[in-house]
Amino acid sequence: MKKMLGLLLACALVLGACSSNGGTNSAGEGGNGGDGGDASKITIWAWDPNFNIKAMNLAKETYAADHPDVEIEIIENAQNDIVQKLNTGLSSGTTKGLPNIVLIEDYRAQSFLQAYPDMFHPLTDSFKAEDFAEYKLGPTSVGDTRYGLPFDSGVTGLYVRTDYLEQAGYTVDDMQDITWDQYIEIGKAVKEKTGKDWLSLDPNDLGILRVMIQSAGSWYLKEDGKTADLADNAALKEAFETYKKMMDANIVKIHSDWSQYVANYNSGDAASVPTGNWFTPSITAAADQAGKWAIVPLPKLTNNADSVHASSLGGSSWYVLNVPGKEAAAEFLGATLGSNVDLYQKLVTDIGAIGTYKPASEGEAYKAPNEFFGGQVIVQDFAKWTAEIPNVNYGMHTYAIEDILVVEMQNYLNGKAIDQVLADAQKQADSQIK
Amino acid sequence: MGKLKRVFMYLFLSIAAIVSVFPFLWMIVSSTNRSVDVTQGKLLPGPYLFENLSKAFETIDIVPALLNSAQISITTTVLALLIASLAGYGFEIFRSKTKDTVFSILLISMMIPFAALMVPLYRMFGTISQTMPIIGIDTISSVILPTVTTAFLIFFFRQSTKMFPKDMLEAGRIDGLSELGVFFRIYVPTMKTTYAAAAIITFMSSWNNYLWPLVVLQSPVKRTIPLLISNLGSSYSPDYGVIMTVILIATLPTAIVFFLMQKHFVAGMTGSVK
Repeated sequence: MKKMLGLLLACALVLGACSSNGGTNSAGEGGNGGDGGDASKITIWAWDPNFNIKAMNLAKETYAADHPDVEIEIIENAQNDIVQKLNTGLSSGTTKGLPNIVLIEDYRAQSFLQAYPDMFHPLTDSFKAEDFAEYKLGPTSVGDTRYGLPFDSGVTGLYVRTDYLEQAGYTVDDMQDITWDQYIEIGKAVKEKTGKDWLSLDPNDLGILRVMIQSAGSWYLKEDGKTADLADNAALKEAFETYKKMMDANIVKIHSDWSQYVANYNSGDAASVPTGNWFTPSITAAADQAGKWAIVPLPKLTNNADSVHASSLGGSSWYVLNVPGKEAAAEFLGATLGSNVDLYQKLVTDIGAIGTYKPASEGEAYKAPNEFFGGQVIVQDFAKWTAEIPNVNYGMHTYAIEDILVVEMQNYLNGKAIDQVLADAQKQADSQIK
Repeated sequence: MGKLKRVFMYLFLSIAAIVSVFPFLWMIVSSTNRSVDVTQGKLLPGPYLFENLSKAFETIDIVPALLNSAQISITTTVLALLIASLAGYGFEIFRSKTKDTVFSILLISMMIPFAALMVPLYRMFGTISQTMPIIGIDTISSVILPTVTTAFLIFFFRQSTKMFPKDMLEAGRIDGLSELGVFFRIYVPTMKTTYAAAAIITFMSSWNNYLWPLVVLQSPVKRTIPLLISNLGSSYSPDYGVIMTVILIATLPTAIVFFLMQKHFVAGMTGSVK
């Protein structure tokens, strides 16, 4: 009997320990007991400590100088974790535990804004929309109401190894205004002369297709953001054909995850990367390749008159949730990333983050040459291309459609006719997303 | 001929062993290398283990996360074992038709995936938070309570109880023990191996639990170790050497628990299947 009593006592102790712990913690939160965050504190969720979190910390520092009374807590969560937490929290209808400000990738933004329209706080009056890159406004707005403060630019460029180019008889000047077909031709020459592959691709990530079609002002979905636009999408058809040409030319190295992707370039096994500007730190990580890289404008689609030398890959924006403290949160965003030119200079010098705030490109940091890229003024170039990115509506189903296209792409590479491939994809998408 | 067969068998087993151990080995090797070496697929140990370790402890809050995980896992395991064994014992020893029906319903609940329960559960805790913030969202109790016992564990104890010699219980009763006394003084000591197996299963699943703690824990100070690891991979340029080192540290407790109870575990598992 004594033993049993002891056991029960132990259990009671353990239970008591964990509940008292919970008690102190929730008291520390301010104990307002109701829904949502604490009104006197701004909580922010973001991912990537070296990029978004760092940027927010800089914004916090500048803001704290004028507003010592506002407490700002930045919480790091992986992107997929944020999506999971937001979806659970928002769909269960309880705002308890949700942050005041959250970072959402542009491709996903509409699915949140449309699914939970009352849960986001409009930012229309918090910043001047015309000061930001045009292409960022579509994904962050519903109608004329702005919900997201545009953040980093996903602007793309073509990173290229100049030493391999020279061995193949080309210079950087030959790359300035090229089409994807010319890009492939140069790639074949490079492979022939150096034995190095031209680029590295992941068959499960069709980012390069997204880049190609956005450069022509087209997307997986029609302008309403809800209807799949695959079967009669000329840009997508050409992007598919270009992809196959790359594969058939035998100039593609395959990777299956991010670490392999970066490794293919850091080890010098692949010679060019058509991707977003956020790839810069991965390139510069291989210090021994300094001076061997250049960034040139993105190639454009060969047979599409609308296609330009600018596109976007990735990129995200800040959103204010409709929980207590939303006014303070909106004011914070407006005063920092919404209007502070100096802050954007710091983002470039300290982090290498290129914003989409147009007045910022006049600043000093945007005009500084980068020695790794042979003195090229890369930030200025990226800022210039950012302004040229065609505006498309990413809609609600970008990733759902991409899952379909990944499969159909394999069918296409295995010999299925292109029109049939896209028609089949359209059929699947129509039945799946409605 | 028999010898040849043996050679093939060992060959097959060796390959299977290598395949299943390789990820573990790769983790250990990678924790001694720099991020660049990891991405380039280096398979040999490097000299960077201590550098990774110091980086991990300097830049990442491993210790608080480990303590959180330990607190949650140990509490869950103790409570789950107590509740599930009492339930399993009750279902088997005091059998009746109604109880068998209840048990079948309980088993059906094993077939509902957790993802389907998550939103309603979150909603429930959201409501509880308003009246009792002590066990509401963003507390350690909110992680423990939904997993405090599982249908599987009750099933596991009930199946093990089937082979328990019931005469012993009778003997205890005749000697004047109360029903709870019978349970704690006769049943629990006899079923040690079952408890050991159940402890390992519960501790491991609680230690590795990811989805529910992810949605319900919001403050960084309350993070468990799987959430911490998930964050490490979130950056555009992750440091794989350090990540592997942290994962290595995170696997140690489960490994220790497993090796401590391994002997009982095997006995308990085979015992329950018999």
